[in-house]
Amino acid sequence: MVALFDQFRGPLLRYLSNFGLAAADGEEVIQEVFLSLFQHLHRGKSRENLRGWLFRVAHNLALKRRYRTRRELEARAKADAGDLAIDPGPSPEAQVVNSQTQQRLLAVVEALPDQCRRCLFLRAEGLRYREIAGILDMSLGAVSLSLARSLARIARAAER
Amino acid sequence: MSYEDSHLSDQQLLLDVEGELSTRDEKPVRSHLDACWKCRARRLEIENAIADFIRIHQREFDVKLPPAAGRRALLKAQLAQLSATTPRSGWFVLTRRLDWARAAAGLGLAVLGLLVARSVVGLQSRPRPQAAVFSIPDSRLTPGAAVLASRQAVCAQANTKNKAVSVALQRKVFEEYGIAGAEPQAYEVDYLVTPALGGADDIRNLWPHSYSATVWNARVKDDLEDRLRDMVCDGSLDLAEAQQEIAGNWIAAYKKYFHADQPVEKHQ
Repeated sequence: MVALFDQFRGPLLRYLSNFGLAAADGEEVIQEVFLSLFQHLHRGKSRENLRGWLFRVAHNLALKRRYRTRRELEARAKADAGDLAIDPGPSPEAQVVNSQTQQRLLAVVEALPDQCRRCLFLRAEGLRYREIAGILDMSLGAVSLSLARSLARIARAAER
Repeated sequence: MSYEDSHLSDQQLLLDVEGELSTRDEKPVRSHLDACWKCRARRLEIENAIADFIRIHQREFDVKLPPAAGRRALLKAQLAQLSATTPRSGWFVLTRRLDWARAAAGLGLAVLGLLVARSVVGLQSRPRPQAAVFSIPDSRLTPGAAVLASRQAVCAQANTKNKAVSVALQRKVFEEYGIAGAEPQAYEVDYLVTPALGGADDIRNLWPHSYSATVWNARVKDDLEDRLRDMVCDGSLDLAEAQQEIAGNWIAAYKKYFHADQPVEKHQ
C-alpha cells in the first residue's frame, strides 16, 4: 500500500491541481483515496487496474471536497493566494528561465475548459483513452476529440 | 469516409499518433499519410504540441510537489489504526455470508442468511467496547476545520479550552462515528483543531475522544494545544502550520513538539 502511495502520490497530486484545491487539500484527498483503497482491498474487491481505480476515486473525492469547501477556498484564496497548487506567477528566477512561448502555452493550458484539462493531465500520467473515458464519464470519441482540440490550441500558441 | 478525397482530421491524426485507431481505420489513415505531406506535417505539429505540453506539465507541476515523507508517515499511522479497528466481522463478513446464502439459493438458507445479517447489524448498532476507543479521529469524518483568523486575533482572545458542544451536534458526531447508542459519558466530543488555535464549530472538526484512551487521552491533547498556542503566539510557529499539525495527526505532533514518544508522566 505504501509502495503504491509512493508511486502514485505525485501523479495524483498533479492531476488534483486541476480542481482548484489548495495543496494541503490535495494531500488530504490522496490520504482519503488510499484509506478507501485499503478498505476496497480489505473487502476482497477487484485488484484489476488499480491505477484507473485510484484516479477515479481521487477525481470523485476532489469534486466532492471542492463542492463542500468552495466558499471556504474562495475566502482563503483572497487571504493566502500563495497556498494554491498552481502558483499565479513565476518566481524571479523562473521569469528569467521561462520563455515567452512557455508562458503563452501555460496560459493556454490554464484557460482550457476543466474537462479538457483533466483529459490532458490524465493522458500525461499515462492513462489510456478507455481509462480516461471511465474516470471522466465520457465516451471514447469525446476523449479523443477533447485531446485533439486541446493539442490544436497548444500547437497554435506555440506557432505565434 | 474516403481518406483519399479529404485530409485527415486532428482527431484521426491524434488517434494515429496514440496508437488508438480502430483496426478498420488504421489502414486507410496510414495510406493517406503515406501520400499526403500536409497531413504528415500536421501530425508532426500534434506530436510537437504533446512535447510542449509535457514540458510545461513537468516544469510547472513536478517541482512544486511537497516532500512525501510526512504524508507517508501519516498514511502508515492511519492504516495501522484502520487495520486495528476495521471489524472483519462487520460489513465484510455480512456480505460474505450473503454471498454464501445466494450461492445456496435455497429459501431456507436465505432466511438463515437474513437472520445472521440481522444479528450482525444488531451487534453493530450497539456500542463496541473494544473497537470504539478513539485516540485519533477518522480523517474522513474529521479532517479538521478552522475559521479564517489571523495569529493576532487568535492570540488576542483568551485561551478557550473545552468549549461546549451542543447536544444536537454531539449526537450527530456519535452517529457519524457509528456509536449512536454509546454512553455519552464514555467520550468527550473534542475539537480536533482547538478553538484556541482558530478551530471551527464544525462537525468536520469534532470527534468522540474516548475517555478510556489511557495513554493518548484528552488531557494529553490539551497540553499539546497549550504548547502549540504558546509557540504560535510567541511567533515561533506559524498558525496555519500549527492547525495542520494538529489536524494531521495530533499524537505525532505531540511527539514532535514535546520531543517524547510517550506523554509526559502526569497524564497517565
